[in-house]
Amino acid sequence: MSEALLQVEDLRVAFAAGGREIRAVDGVSYRVEARQTLAIIGESGSGKTVGCRAIMGLLPATATIGGSARLNGSELIGLSDAQLRKYRGSVMAMVFQDPARSLNPTMRVGSQITEAIRTHRKISRSEAHTEAVELLRLVRIPAPERRYHEYPHQLSGGMRQRVMIAIALACRPKLLIADEATTALDVTTQAQIMELMLELQAELGMSLVFISHDLGLAASYADQVVVMYAGKIVEQAPAKKLFGAGGTVRMRYTRALLDAIPHIEREAHTELPVVAGRPPDPTAMPPGCSFAPRCVHAQDDCTAKAPALAEHSPGHSWACWHPCENGVAR
Amino acid sequence: MAAPFPETTLASPVPPPLPSLLNGRRLRAQRLGRALRLWVPAGVLILLLAVCFLLPLVVTLPSPTNGNIIVNNEPPFSPGHWLGTNVQGVDIFSQLVYGGQVAIEISLSVTILGMAIGGTLGIVAAYFGGWVDAVISRLLDILLAFPVLVLALVIAEGLGPSERNVIAALSAFSIPAFGRVARGATLTIRGLPYMTAARLSGTRAWRIIARHILPNIMPGIVTFSLLGIGVTIILEGALDFLGYGIPAPEASWGSMIASGQQVLTAQPEYVLIPSIVLLITVVALNTLGDALRERWGVQ
Amino acid sequence: MSTETTAEERQPLLSVRDLVQEFVVREGGGARGGVVQAVSGVSFDIMPGETLGIVGETGSGKSTLARAILQSPRPKSGTVSFRGSELTRLRGRRLLAARQHMQFVFQDPFGSLDPKWKARSIIEEPLIAYSAGDRQARRKRVDELLDLVGLDPARYAKRHPRELSGGQAQRIAIARAVALNPDLLICDEAVSSLDVLIQAQVLNLFEKLRRELGLSYLFIAHDLALVKQVSDRVGVMYLGRFCEVGPGESVYKQPLHPYTRALLDSIPSTEPGAGRATTTLRGEPPSPVNPPSGCRFRTRCPRAADRCADEVPEPRELFPGHLVACHFPLTVAAEPAKVSAPTQTTARAQG
Repeated sequence: MSEALLQVEDLRVAFAAGGREIRAVDGVSYRVEARQTLAIIGESGSGKTVGCRAIMGLLPATATIGGSARLNGSELIGLSDAQLRKYRGSVMAMVFQDPARSLNPTMRVGSQITEAIRTHRKISRSEAHTEAVELLRLVRIPAPERRYHEYPHQLSGGMRQRVMIAIALACRPKLLIADEATTALDVTTQAQIMELMLELQAELGMSLVFISHDLGLAASYADQVVVMYAGKIVEQAPAKKLFGAGGTVRMRYTRALLDAIPHIEREAHTELPVVAGRPPDPTAMPPGCSFAPRCVHAQDDCTAKAPALAEHSPGHSWACWHPCENGVAR
Repeated sequence: MAAPFPETTLASPVPPPLPSLLNGRRLRAQRLGRALRLWVPAGVLILLLAVCFLLPLVVTLPSPTNGNIIVNNEPPFSPGHWLGTNVQGVDIFSQLVYGGQVAIEISLSVTILGMAIGGTLGIVAAYFGGWVDAVISRLLDILLAFPVLVLALVIAEGLGPSERNVIAALSAFSIPAFGRVARGATLTIRGLPYMTAARLSGTRAWRIIARHILPNIMPGIVTFSLLGIGVTIILEGALDFLGYGIPAPEASWGSMIASGQQVLTAQPEYVLIPSIVLLITVVALNTLGDALRERWGVQ
Repeated sequence: MSTETTAEERQPLLSVRDLVQEFVVREGGGARGGVVQAVSGVSFDIMPGETLGIVGETGSGKSTLARAILQSPRPKSGTVSFRGSELTRLRGRRLLAARQHMQFVFQDPFGSLDPKWKARSIIEEPLIAYSAGDRQARRKRVDELLDLVGLDPARYAKRHPRELSGGQAQRIAIARAVALNPDLLICDEAVSSLDVLIQAQVLNLFEKLRRELGLSYLFIAHDLALVKQVSDRVGVMYLGRFCEVGPGESVYKQPLHPYTRALLDSIPSTEPGAGRATTTLRGEPPSPVNPPSGCRFRTRCPRAADRCADEVPEPRELFPGHLVACHFPLTVAAEPAKVSAPTQTTARAQG
């Protein structure tokens, strides 16, 4: 088996807060092949963002990180910030949720791109300028020469996100991580940006990891899907296996998520199948399966011992003692 | 390949303990620092209040105004005079105590007047907006434009120096200051959804101000008032120093500094002692104000 | 767009006509910039017991519309008739009295609750404001309301908002909103900031209240699937105007406006066999300060023609209860010489 572009093994991230330990990410493993799209889906508190920030080295010093994350064979966990800086932006890059806050409001858009370029490559200012304009064109911003001189507040949300992508792509990274990059955008703009990222992925031969709470995005755009809950992966499969025709969702939590999303095909005023309760308190995790307190199908063995994530079917792993049977993903 | 955690098999995912206790230690140190910054200055101020107001009730102190010229220039720790006497034989400790009383009375009065009048004006201006805001803001600006010390001088010249006049003069500064702060704080929360929700619930304006605005801006007002007390004490001291505040021979920290100024090189302690007390008081007030601001999360 | 069907003689609960709302944009130094035309002539009715959903993206004016209906701030022009009273003409106490039966649920569950108040006081506030009973009666009512929204009074009445989760906070806000037995509940993105599973819980709560209390809703969101699921009728807004209004099923199965079509296409679906979400829209949303002439959607519409720039399309009823404001709705070919008269024959599935 060829070495994947990104290989994450048993990643663990913990924080100390108020004298107690919060296990934000609790043993997460996955791989991203070259040119592949992986979707990491989870609600707030699932650990999806913390895990990727740990790989990028963007967590505060109070975080303790363990496990392994190898990018093209090089281990990233445990590197110092100075060492990680060589990877950040050049081999791996990240796009965040809120472009209004990720872009410097006092700097022109073009300068922010050239700054990213010149951090990693020693080229002249005018060359960087040309490259920046090319990048703006690459992300399909009309009239890129003019936009180069504008400030973030003069651009719409979708445009700002394109600028963020341009900055991220400044050095043609091999891995692009999009952390809820479209959550704050309108649905039509979201479709534009997702299409753009997929086109760029094909053009530049990148891998794409996008983090979201929206299973629909995963179904529409991802090759491989990872579903997280309370710091652990609970289901992992190619998107076709989960959502395609004859696709099955096994883990109860994934099924609950699917059922709870408003589907436009549903009749109005139908009562949604509801999961009671809230995600567990990270400082006081329940024994056994962390979803058990909320699962209607939970049985004694669910609270006694936590199910391990295992590949029960080729390519499809889940962590559930009593998974859904032959359920159609609906 | 770094793998600081022990090998775990999928079958028994028992998470290992945090490898380093450093985080816990740092947290405890932080918490200790925060507590100290709150309680040490609070303790100092409580001590000051006790000494200035409770001690004279318990112990008979020598007169702070009349001195026996025979026992002048006594050094500290002399019998009957804990910190010695000054040039005219007046007991220094008594002067500190009674001067402290004056300082505290004046600064508290000025601050309370400022909070009550200025705070109300500021809240009303910000809540109602429009011409109400315009009129009140201009009034406050006019008051603020007066240089405080000059105003105090004029009042003292015209009406004669007295504690009441000092309070009036300094209030001309504290009222608009509180007005500004209250107005700003109210403007910050006025557009928040819970304010709109209160109006949509049918609550009347005065009730909104009393039950929604006041509780939410109080932390900011209180921390500001602590700094304000400190500033007022200094201003009052300056007035006394110039002779336009509390009239001699009444004791005050400022006049102590003034009279000690004449023998500064020979007996610097006459200036140093009240200055140090003043410094400690103001620093305690500022530190407490900062600590409270930190604890209450005020910007 | 009014839907006063002659079949029913019921009076609408809420009747909005030609509502216009504008804002002045201030430049940095306070100088007048442009004027944002947030709502430009919106008309609709809500019948008793009905849920009207309004879907629109950023800049569509849907939230401004909601606030204009509440008179907070007052619309620039237009009429809002609620239970027979004309709200735009009422002031002070009379407005408060009329507005008692119309309540609002905000998007931010924590923002709409005073952080210094306890849950019990928050829910009690409208009862006090409208003098609904003495202290005992009010307390009893608060406990009833907490039960109604699924929160145990013993555990939650004394809590502050910071001790609540997002879903619980929103339930408190809903309890407050229904405290006075309103007829109409306006929900402005009321579930948008909640996690998916919690969102489902709150949506079910809305359904339950609709059934048990006979509430009407004006449900505003940017998620078309969400809006369609909770609504009887759906209205699509773009840049201050309605594009299309009609029964939810009809709008979904038979979108008449190109913007509705674009919205539907861009929803990523988990249905097996659903195509990848795509976009047929070109360009960026125009600025609401300087909206395009004629049809405001024309700058992004794949079907735009000259007529679209010259003439503002008026809403027309093409199917029962289903209106569209478009010169070339999706029932006809893209570049017709003139639009054929509305027919009841089955239209093509795609425009």
